[in-house]
Amino acid sequence: MILDPIVPRILSVRRIPGADPALLRAYGADPERHRALGLITCDQDDPTYVALDEATKHAAVDVVFARSFYAGSGHASGRLSGEILGVLAGADADEVDEGLAALVRCLEHDACFYKADDKGTITVFPHVIASLGRYLSAQAGLVAGQPMAYLVAPPMEATVGLDAALKAADVRAVKVFPPPTETNFAAAWLSGELAACQAAAEAFAAAVIEVGRVPRER
Amino acid sequence: MSFTRTMVQDLRVRLAGADPLPPPPPVPEIPLPPARVFPSPKRRSPFAAAAARHTTALVGIGHVGTRYATDVVLQFQAELAVAHGAVHTELPEDWAEKNGLLPLQSRVREHREFLLRPDLGRRLDEPSVARLRERGRKGVDIQPILADGLSAVACMGAGRELLDSFVKSCEARGFSVGTPVCARFARVWLEDEIGEVVGAKVAAILLGERPGLGTGDGLSAYLVYDPKVGRTDGNRNMMSNIHARGVPPEQAGKRLAALAGAMLTQRTSGVPLDLAPLRGELGDAVGGGYRAPDPRVRLVSVGEPK
Repeated sequence: MILDPIVPRILSVRRIPGADPALLRAYGADPERHRALGLITCDQDDPTYVALDEATKHAAVDVVFARSFYAGSGHASGRLSGEILGVLAGADADEVDEGLAALVRCLEHDACFYKADDKGTITVFPHVIASLGRYLSAQAGLVAGQPMAYLVAPPMEATVGLDAALKAADVRAVKVFPPPTETNFAAAWLSGELAACQAAAEAFAAAVIEVGRVPRER
Repeated sequence: MSFTRTMVQDLRVRLAGADPLPPPPPVPEIPLPPARVFPSPKRRSPFAAAAARHTTALVGIGHVGTRYATDVVLQFQAELAVAHGAVHTELPEDWAEKNGLLPLQSRVREHREFLLRPDLGRRLDEPSVARLRERGRKGVDIQPILADGLSAVACMGAGRELLDSFVKSCEARGFSVGTPVCARFARVWLEDEIGEVVGAKVAAILLGERPGLGTGDGLSAYLVYDPKVGRTDGNRNMMSNIHARGVPPEQAGKRLAALAGAMLTQRTSGVPLDLAPLRGELGDAVGGGYRAPDPRVRLVSVGEPK
């Protein structure tokens, strides 16, 4: 059914309690402050970015590394690769555990892609973050605690959808990721009041569904 | 439910309203499970049977697969309905006067408030205090109080009988008894204020007790020596389960009078009160010995399984 959630599959979650300084440096962590790493791979990248951000709200952890893999989980390098590797770094293993728990909770119960057509051959991610954590707020140049709409869809749908979203409510495009991203989707981050973000996300999802129904106007 | 998932769910409903979604895929045919019959056990577990003789609790009731048997469920629902009915019954405003009792009311204004605010049910409202000052006999040995408590059904049922039996027994023992009053929306601790206003040595409140499964008509009696606002439950003696299937009101009245007598003699009540001298009069109610449980009253009749 349209707009059924597609629950992300968490493919691996591991923890390195005392990581080697060289590894810490290579993945963007600071050996002075960080000793433990928490790693996750998942078959949906954008929900994982949201979940990594969620983790920074629940524990004293930093998201030091988060990269999507080329062409997405359909073309993964192994059965545990999925389409993203996210790395949390913290001062000790307990903090990292807390962070990973929040991350997994968010992936299981909150952030996910939705089907934009009956069969799920088009997917959409019209996610509203009510309160940004430290990771995405820094990435977006916003203040932690602000709301943000995180919108993702395939290239054509996303482009039409983004236009609809920007016109639907009083929102500002903070960052637009035109296609192709690593996973060949297109994305946008919109900032505004929570109600405006919600209206924009709804307009985005509706437009993506509409494009799926009428792919060719002529 | 997360913010976004709720939002998307609402959006789906809205989109469906404007443009109906395709029909859901047909439900695949579900094969019927193999039919299973659970015959009633020919022999009950001897342990369950033995345990059931010592309690009215629901033990040894058997099962059907993973569920209770229908008669057990019906019995439970019927008993629960009795309890619900009792809690939600209200004592009519003119009931006290019709029964020749001095009507009093707590600071509670309506029944729902009574259930939610025990603190208000423990104090008299101002007109009641004035009425009690004006019409209540002062400086008596025992002040009897009839009240609705959590079951007006019980108060209206055996309440009058218990009050009469108690007053008669007290008078027979030569105690001076205060004007019988009837308090509406009353909690147990209301006896402290009533007793204090009339300056009674012992205040006795007889009120409907919190209904349990199958018993909506049970009365309890709480006695306190030297009643004053601020007395605690440690200062009280109580007798519960006063109803036809427990302690009959006639007998309870006599026992309560004996208890009040002990309070007047020992000039205390509650934990410090020594019940040992009363063993003869209170019998097994003093506690200690084994008492066979009363048989459970069946509200639902079932035919014997074949």
